[in-house]
Amino acid sequence: MQGAPTPERIVLPEIMIMPSRLLSADTTEKILNKIYGVKYVRHINCQGESLPLKLTSGPGSGLLVNHPERKVIKVNGKDEELRILVGRIFVEIEDFEHVEETLQKIEKICEELLPFGFDLEVGRYSKFKPTVTDYANKRCS
Amino acid sequence: MMAKYERQFYPGTSVPAKNRKRFIDPKVKLEKLREIAMDDVVKILGHRQPGEDYKSIHPPLEESNEPDCPIRQMVTPIEGAKKGDRIRYVQFTDSVYFAPIVPYCRSWMYMSRFRGVDTGCLSGRNIIEMRERDLEKLAKELIENETFDPAKVGIRGATVHGHACRLDENGLMFDAWQRYRFNAKKGEVEYVKDQVALPLDKPISVGKPADEKELKKRTTMFRADDVDMRDDKEVMNMNLRIHRLRTLAGFQPWAIKGV
Repeated sequence: MQGAPTPERIVLPEIMIMPSRLLSADTTEKILNKIYGVKYVRHINCQGESLPLKLTSGPGSGLLVNHPERKVIKVNGKDEELRILVGRIFVEIEDFEHVEETLQKIEKICEELLPFGFDLEVGRYSKFKPTVTDYANKRCS
Repeated sequence: MMAKYERQFYPGTSVPAKNRKRFIDPKVKLEKLREIAMDDVVKILGHRQPGEDYKSIHPPLEESNEPDCPIRQMVTPIEGAKKGDRIRYVQFTDSVYFAPIVPYCRSWMYMSRFRGVDTGCLSGRNIIEMRERDLEKLAKELIENETFDPAKVGIRGATVHGHACRLDENGLMFDAWQRYRFNAKKGEVEYVKDQVALPLDKPISVGKPADEKELKKRTTMFRADDVDMRDDKEVMNMNLRIHRLRTLAGFQPWAIKGV
């Protein structure tokens, strides 16, 4: 799930939330909305296990899976189709000076919504400029 | 005089090692933890409808003119082979989160306990191929006994991915095809699809999942965050020996002396 990030002039830090369990759609919706409410949060990326729409092999090939966790959730006022069971959340922070403060706020949210445990890390986990592969595959010029 | 050789089945004294011994030793009767109707097992397997005749791939052995051969005299055919049943399969996926049994151990157990089984072992799943009517009985036994846990073991014919994923919020192993779900009211796991994810006419309950404390008692899994294999000297020595022999001698372990 991705919003529309504006170009970065400098490489911004990210906070990675690693829950001990894969998150249900309801918990994902709640946690994303709470995190979007935190000051200095610029952008959120989610990673997780893919939930296919249809069966791709076997005698039921082409049938709908109808996974109850694959559904439309409302994040930051927008409808988003959740196609994964979320396993990691990357929160980009727009100000270096306030990483610690934001981390503490996010930790509080996690403690409230993830009773089964979680890990938090600060770093940079996603791509912020095109790579050689992007040039080779002509995804950029 | 030398002591009579007694098969040990598996080395070691740790909990997983002892559990492995129990599972592999055919003299140990495994505990039955749940009761699943045979018709429900047939539905989950999805090879035929309950009550439907078994399809055959050759005439019953009694009616066929098998050539006289010493092997045929030595080996008693299993029931399905006698009747000429098709070969069908069942496949179990075992979560790394303390599933009661691990795929490799399943293979050892099957070869040690059951006849007429062809098994294939992968990192997270284990398939059994067998004559249909024998397979159904065996699948029922394996779902009902202590090697199965509703949340940490999955019956999956295809798209088995999930054994190494984190569990979901209900403690269930991830399944992209959602063959089973957690019924929060009953606290039980229900199958809503067969092993290849074709929908069932009604949910089939396979019982309550065991808690983590209980699973750690029953598990055959060595994990760094529970019982580390390195802490069980005998197990470690056996594995190092196999590794050394394979590294130094490939498929001729007898060529190396004194290891």
